[in-house]
Amino acid sequence: MSARSTSWWGGRGASCSRHSHVNDQDFNDQDFNDQNCNDQNCNDKEVERLMLDLVIRNGLIVDGSGLPGRHGDVSVRGGRVVAVGGRAGDAHRVLDATGRIVAPGFIDPHTHYDAQLCFDPYAFPAIEHGVTTVVPGNCSLSLAPLRVDQRDAFSSMFRLIEEMPAAAFDAGVDWRWGEGFGGWLDALAENIALNVAPLVGHSVLRMYVMGAEAQVRAATADEIGAMADLLRVCLDAGAVGLSTSFVDIDETYRPVPSRWAAPAELDALSAVLGERDAVLQIVHEFYDTELTIARVEQLAELSLRHGITTTLSPLFHSDANHDGVARVMAAVETARARGAAVWPQVQTRPIDISFTLDQRSLMLLTMPSWWKVASIRDHADKLAAVTHQRQLLVDEMNSLARRPGGGLGAGGFVVRDVMNARNNDLIGRSIDDIARERGTSHGDTVVDLALDENLGTWFIRASIGHNNSPVVGELLAHPFVHVGASDGGAHVGSFSTFGDTGYLFSEFVRGTKSLSLEAAVKKITLDPATIWGLKGRGLLAAGNAADVVVFDAERIGRGPEIASDDFPGDGVRWIRHQEGVDAVVVVNGEVTWSAAEGYVAGARAGQIATRS
Amino acid sequence: MTARRFVYPQPGDDLAAIAARELPGTQGADEQLLSWNLHLAARRTIGLLPSDIVFTEPPPPR
Repeated sequence: MSARSTSWWGGRGASCSRHSHVNDQDFNDQDFNDQNCNDQNCNDKEVERLMLDLVIRNGLIVDGSGLPGRHGDVSVRGGRVVAVGGRAGDAHRVLDATGRIVAPGFIDPHTHYDAQLCFDPYAFPAIEHGVTTVVPGNCSLSLAPLRVDQRDAFSSMFRLIEEMPAAAFDAGVDWRWGEGFGGWLDALAENIALNVAPLVGHSVLRMYVMGAEAQVRAATADEIGAMADLLRVCLDAGAVGLSTSFVDIDETYRPVPSRWAAPAELDALSAVLGERDAVLQIVHEFYDTELTIARVEQLAELSLRHGITTTLSPLFHSDANHDGVARVMAAVETARARGAAVWPQVQTRPIDISFTLDQRSLMLLTMPSWWKVASIRDHADKLAAVTHQRQLLVDEMNSLARRPGGGLGAGGFVVRDVMNARNNDLIGRSIDDIARERGTSHGDTVVDLALDENLGTWFIRASIGHNNSPVVGELLAHPFVHVGASDGGAHVGSFSTFGDTGYLFSEFVRGTKSLSLEAAVKKITLDPATIWGLKGRGLLAAGNAADVVVFDAERIGRGPEIASDDFPGDGVRWIRHQEGVDAVVVVNGEVTWSAAEGYVAGARAGQIATRS
Repeated sequence: MTARRFVYPQPGDDLAAIAARELPGTQGADEQLLSWNLHLAARRTIGLLPSDIVFTEPPPPR
């Protein structure tokens, strides 16, 4: 260290040598000479200017690249990573990461936080799991662009498909941005604690251009042109791509608008995506292998024709269809060999579905006759009295017993929670067990118990599918698989969408050992950043956004699923708190959650994460 | 791996029209086509959608 710099650092004691190291990374002594800054005041200002905002010290840095981790410091200033590795200098805040992993913030590519972000800037509790960037607007539904007089229709559709309680949606979504996509992003950007890379929904584009006809017919050439123009506007405002759906229905059981689009329409919109280097996301007929393979082929054609990246979600494994996923992946490999970018998204968690009989649920969506009696959901007394309706429901429930992989007769179908204390002893017991005790059918057992509690009883079908960990682990490790499909912010009464990232480590790194630690980190950082074109994210490297998570590799998991009543309005949703993310989560350089402080009040460093 | 041969509906199509076009001269082509597309049989009240996939050959042997 030169005499000049020693003098310059005079009075700062032991910090001198550490600053010297930072100086080596950022500038050299000649810089000071050139600045000709000799007075103490000026030097103090320079110290302040060059002082790091944050140093995460002495962790095992797993930078997202997939390369082996290395010990060292990560330094941050101005919301960006300044240096990775080695020994960093002084900082306004120093966090000790000894014994911890320091990784890029996790990216969740399939979410529906659109509504939740309107009233919850943290997307609680996503951030504490290490998630720093989310992609909302999947499956053809985004909150914009949407005309004022279409809000009710859209809201009903969104609430049903994404299982968002009406009270929460209506209380939380204030439409303050008006109609346009850019206005929505501006409103979001004012008040978000994590990064948002938004998709624009195909169904919404159709509604905006075609009105009620969007759910009646294919579009004309002029209407397709108008949608293409509108898509350009949305992409230029910050959308990272377009989402569409081939499966969803609205609250009147009609297919959503995107399903009324002819292939030529999707082709024209994909051409626009090609112009703007944007992504196409679809939700396909995931329950049918043959249709899924056909959609892979459709996406491959669009990808090759327009040079776009495409992704389909979700892809589930089922032991009942043991080679289904292998066949889909063979189709993906064929597409990749042709040069197409087709990324199936695979979630980490097994499928659990909690439900009551008083709300529409994923569980009940697969029961055709249930829809006929859906109108009874607010009229438990009538259900009890109307024999044929009751019998329909009983028959539906009994039909579950015949399904492979966790029917009513399986131990995984249990009473999760009860409304009346007199039924407390039923909590955790299987329907099969209770039915045997009562001498009733499985269906009668479920319906009788629900009626006894004004339909409020919670049931759960646990681990219905996607639960063969060695097979799922192998799938997750496949180089063409995009880890995602959490559905964050949706299906809030059916299952927790939080903790999938932790589960990747607990089940598939520590458990089945399907992935190395470094490979798992890459799967949820650099890989999604690359697929979605989120430049400057997903990799801990100098100049990149300082999205950082510090966690314990031996403890990170997903935590138990618990009920939470934190949403606006009445009702319960299922969440999981972090487990093993016991240090800190940083978004664009700002500590946003820490084990010590919890969610940092006022942390709003989230940005609209665009592709440019 | 490639998908089973399939087509998208053309404007005004129903399964009968597709069957006549894709399976000319086949006896009971309507029923044949429907049997290969049970995902469409489940929602006959709505009819074909422009985005539907209609398989024009049977499923592979399992």
